[in-house]
This record gives sequence, structure tokens and C-alpha cells, in this order.
Amino acid sequence: MKTLKVEVITPSKKAYKGEVFSITVPGSKGNFQVLYNHAPILSSLEIGKVKIVEKEGAEPQFFAISGGTVEVLNNKVLILAESFEAKSEIDVERAEKSKQRAEARISSKKKEIDLTRAEISLKRAINRLKIAKS
Amino acid sequence: MATLRDIKRRIVGVKNTQQITKAMKMVAAARLKRAQDNMLAAKPYSQKVAEVLSNLIRSENNISNPLFVEREVKKIAVVLLTSDRGLCGGFNMNAIRKAQELIQKKYKSLVDNNSLSLYCVGKKGNDFFKKNFDNVSGSYPGIFSELKFEFASSMVTDFVNKFLKGEIDKVVVVYNQFKSVVQQEVVEEQLLPILPFETSEEDSASNTEFIFEPDKISIINSLLPKHLNAQFWKALLESYAAELGARMTAMDMATENAKEIIRSLQIKYNKERQAAITKEILEIVSGANALKSA
Repeated sequence: MKTLKVEVITPSKKAYKGEVFSITVPGSKGNFQVLYNHAPILSSLEIGKVKIVEKEGAEPQFFAISGGTVEVLNNKVLILAESFEAKSEIDVERAEKSKQRAEARISSKKKEIDLTRAEISLKRAINRLKIAKS
Repeated sequence: MATLRDIKRRIVGVKNTQQITKAMKMVAAARLKRAQDNMLAAKPYSQKVAEVLSNLIRSENNISNPLFVEREVKKIAVVLLTSDRGLCGGFNMNAIRKAQELIQKKYKSLVDNNSLSLYCVGKKGNDFFKKNFDNVSGSYPGIFSELKFEFASSMVTDFVNKFLKGEIDKVVVVYNQFKSVVQQEVVEEQLLPILPFETSEEDSASNTEFIFEPDKISIINSLLPKHLNAQFWKALLESYAAELGARMTAMDMATENAKEIIRSLQIKYNKERQAAITKEILEIVSGANALKSA
């Protein structure tokens, strides 16, 4: 079987480990798919969706990722991310709340509020919700 | 002179204390296990981030990331990690003493200019410095009961922003490093500016032609804050594990001491009891003798 060894590491645990057929990641220059014998690449990742197909023709699995880096070398895929959750693991309630909080922050337009940070946190929340509901 | 009753009461009291210390030791041991697991789980991430970064940096000569730049230190932030609860031996006092040493000696000139800001994570450090130091810029009590990575990253982001704006020239973290269950060591670790990576052994990755997306520099720039997050996160986890280790040891010793006290009290009790009996017999015998001779 021509498979990729995928490992996803987050600060709290090894979030995913397995042999897969293909993986699609949100690279900073656009989504890209990694298949067997992909050229070595090191790319930063955006907030978005990771799609993993474990076997050819199998149902894809979806994960929410909040940015990170991916390294592909010799059919090993290493993803370093600060958070990585399977669709079923996403805490919808929490994401909903943090979305509201971020929106409130952005619209409050107070000076002391770090706008970029609020925007990032909004993006993350929206991403989680999108994946959870897809 | 203590009566028998008093001694008995003390024995019961010490026994109760012993039960509590024993229970606390057990709780600390259970939590310690979990904290150690978390520490182990965090390790691969911080290692990998550092590895990827150091490989990138080695192959790239002109890195101009401002996070590396050593400036003249005019303003410094000291982050002190202590625990929220006491009864853990010298754990908090050691960290506090170290922080105080920094304030009074190493960075004294900065303190005099009011340019040292202290951030206290954990209640104990905050309680102490609220009274003894007037530039506590931030206090974060109660985070250890439910340690979240978001906390580490939000604090680091704050520091990075301040560092980039020139509001802080250096950030150090003072915390108890987890050496082993029974051993902690207080260290001062520099967070910002980032210390140069140790160029360790060459590995295969540096010989391979990688595609970089978008490019090397941007990847380095995006990884550096992550590296800091991981570093601070590690410090938090270590400090928590060290706290539990210290508590376990302290409570174990307290239990042992209680055992010792109970033993000596018991001996004292037995002696007293013996003495009382002897006295009573003497009284009876001498009473009987008096009757006989009469």
C-alpha cells in the first residue's frame, strides 16, 4: 500500500497518528493535497479545514486546525498545530460563545482592544462552527 | 502536669491531622501523575517546533526577525510562577525568594527607575508581592486548577506585542523546574529576546531540497511565536508538576512527623498511666498498713 504516515502534534497531545491515502491541508498559499511521493515541502498553515482520506475511496474525515506548519518528507507528514480537533470533538457551544465574544470586541471599537487578536479568534470560532456543522 | 485525659486528647488530635496530611498526599500523588502525563504530552510539540526552527535558521543566514534582537535592557518583565495553594513545603518561598533576589540585586537599577514589571501567575506570589512590591502589573490566580494552552498563548502574545512595540526589552520567567518528584529547582529563564538555538547535530532534513510555502522567512516568522508559546506552556506545566511533587513530599513528611509525635505521646501516656496506678496501689497498701498497726 502506498500510504503516507501522518502525525499531528499539538501542545497537549498527539492529536492524530496513522497511515493515510491522502491529506488536504490549508496552506498559506491555498489548499493543497498530499499524496504518496509528494515532494518535500514545508509550509505554514492557515486556520481552516484538514481533510484526511484514510483509504482510497473511503469517506473523508474532517478536522479543524487553527494554523500551524506542515512538513512533508519521505512520505511522512508532520503537522504542528496549536489546536486540531476532529469534527466530532468540536465544542460547538464554546465556539459559539467565543464567536459572540470576538464579535462584541470588534464592534465595541475600544482603543485598548487588540483588533487583530479578536479577528483571529473570530476566524477560529467560525472555522470550528463551519466544520462542526458541515 | 498533663493529665491522662489531656494526653489522650492530644493523641486523637494528632491522629486527625495525620489523616488529613495522608489524604492530601494521596490527592497530590494522583494529580501529579496527571500533571506528569501532560508534561510528557507537551514535549514532542515543543521539541518538533524547535527542531524545525533550528533547521530552518541554520540554512538561512540573514534572519532579521526582531524577536531575536538583543536591545539595551531598559524595561524588563519578570513572570513569576507560583501555586494557588500552600502546604507544599518551600515551593513558593523558593520561587519568591528568587524573584526578590532579581528585584533587589540583578535588576535593581531597573527597579529604581520603575522599569521592572512583575507578573504573578498563581495566588501565592501575588499575595506576597502585593505587600512588598508596588509594580505588580498583572496577576493571574487560579489558573492551575484548569490549565489551558490558550492562557499561555494569550500571555505570550501580549509580551510579544509589547516587545515589538518597545515597551519591554526583555522577558524572563522565574519558576520551579521539575527535576524529579522530590526535587525542584528554581530557574530564571529568558523568554524574549529569543536566545539563539543550539545548533545540534546535522540531520537529514537539512540536505533535502524543500519547497517552502510561502517562503522560508515567513515560515520562520510564523513559527517563532509558536515556539515561545510552547516554551511558556512547558514552564507552566513544569511548575504545576513541581508544585504537586513538593506538596506530596511535604505531606509525606508531615505524616511521618505525626506518626513520630503519636508514638512519643503514647509512651508518655503509658508512663503516666503506670505512675497513676503505682500511686493508687501505694495509697491502698499504706492505708491497709495503717489499719493493721492501729
